[in-house]
Amino acid sequence: MDDESLEDWFCREVLPLERSLTHFIRRNTRVADDVMDLRHDVYELAITGARKGLPDSTRAYLFTIARNHLINRAKRARIVSFDLVADLEAIDKDIDLLEAERHLDARDALRQVQAGLENLSPRVREIVRLRKIEGLNVRETAERLGIGKDAVNHQLMMGMKALADFMAGGPGKIVRPKLVRRRKKDAKP
Amino acid sequence: MSRAQQANDRAAQFIIAQEEGDWDETSKAQLGAWLAECDGNKAAYWRLKHSWRKADRIGALGHGIMAAEQGNRRSRRRWWIPAAAAAAIMIAFGGVYEQWPQKFSSPHQTAGYETPVGGLKTVALSDGTHIQLNTASRVRTSVTARRREAWLESGEAFFEVAHREGAPFVVHVGDRQVTVLGTKFSVRRDGNKVKVAVLEGRVRVEELEDGRPVRSAVIVGGDIALAENAAMLVTSRSAQAVENALAWRQGMLEFNQIPLSEVVAEFNRYNTRQIVVTDADAAAFRIGGMFPASDPDAFVRLLRDAYGLKVVKSDSLIEISS
Repeated sequence: MDDESLEDWFCREVLPLERSLTHFIRRNTRVADDVMDLRHDVYELAITGARKGLPDSTRAYLFTIARNHLINRAKRARIVSFDLVADLEAIDKDIDLLEAERHLDARDALRQVQAGLENLSPRVREIVRLRKIEGLNVRETAERLGIGKDAVNHQLMMGMKALADFMAGGPGKIVRPKLVRRRKKDAKP
Repeated sequence: MSRAQQANDRAAQFIIAQEEGDWDETSKAQLGAWLAECDGNKAAYWRLKHSWRKADRIGALGHGIMAAEQGNRRSRRRWWIPAAAAAAIMIAFGGVYEQWPQKFSSPHQTAGYETPVGGLKTVALSDGTHIQLNTASRVRTSVTARRREAWLESGEAFFEVAHREGAPFVVHVGDRQVTVLGTKFSVRRDGNKVKVAVLEGRVRVEELEDGRPVRSAVIVGGDIALAENAAMLVTSRSAQAVENALAWRQGMLEFNQIPLSEVVAEFNRYNTRQIVVTDADAAAFRIGGMFPASDPDAFVRLLRDAYGLKVVKSDSLIEISS
């Protein structure tokens, strides 16, 4: 399986499940800050596994990986609770309910982008708008707004990440580095 | 920073760099190497690239995206006005002022003004307020029935604000804002430094953090407020200092026993032909008097004749030494 087909599969099949996956992870972890990292791990495991061959059902595949990953992690942390395991068994019900989100038509997708934009802070939104609508590059944006190129780069990065979160059904809020707590390395596999 | 965040940040940097035009074989190889490091990097990169591409759809809408905002008063206030103003910014003087579609611009009057080095210009806003722009300055304005705003993006401007009940006039300068009801004052911006000199009336200078005022000071006629980062110094009751600070409005620079280095820096704001003081002794000379801002030659002649300083002139530079 080459990377191009993997990327295509990842964007077409996996990313539309991000909302249900995030929801699933959030319900089954104690530390809210871990959700993003855990999802990242699940994606990584999913890509590595799919290199040998794409799964028949991406949904079942992805959630099995997520469940195993959460259980492994819980075992390491020695805090496995019955609630957790029971909840993990119930995943199949959950994801069917959210299946509808995978079928977005072009207009919905556009609306989603617009909603994502509205969710950004005015400054970041303006920078994204200048990039996407007026086609300005970083230097031109910096000149237009009278701010430094580094600031433009930084805000563009934040906007890009927040848009990605939003379009996958997350809060789409900008995560500023100072708000994110440092975490111990050993909490992760 | 967590592994996921690191991967996300790096991926975003690559995507931005790719769009910048200076993307070459070296950058391509760097991206390839980074992606090959682990599948987590691929996940982050593919994911961000995918949604960022999807966001291209708004480009197809062009300015139509503004229309969708119109139903939403709050977001229009927070985004639409600055966006429109920023887009209309200063192009006026390049001769390519872009007229916004009537339906968007009718409730507001937004405009941008700028002056070149050595320029001096007075503009009148629709509410009767006059703004005088000093050398190398940029201001954009937005006037509505309820709110009047100006953004000083660089340089210095003198505001003569027409009094209007219930509609404060707010000047935004970096992370500070100056709020007034009707008065005459000037605002100067020099990087992080902000200087507010009030000729008449009262103004409130506020420092903003995340859009909310955290510290404020009220200054009145004769006061000068100097602010830099979190510090703000108010020198009160020095009408003469305010007059000096405002002499530029008559095209003059007025100094009251100021070191030559600072005097020269003032002149250099107004002229492309820069004056350089080459030694410390000369730089420490104290200068008093009033000089035409646009005539550095007359000023250096005086330095040579009255103070005996050496002057070497070339097309782009005037060098002064003792």
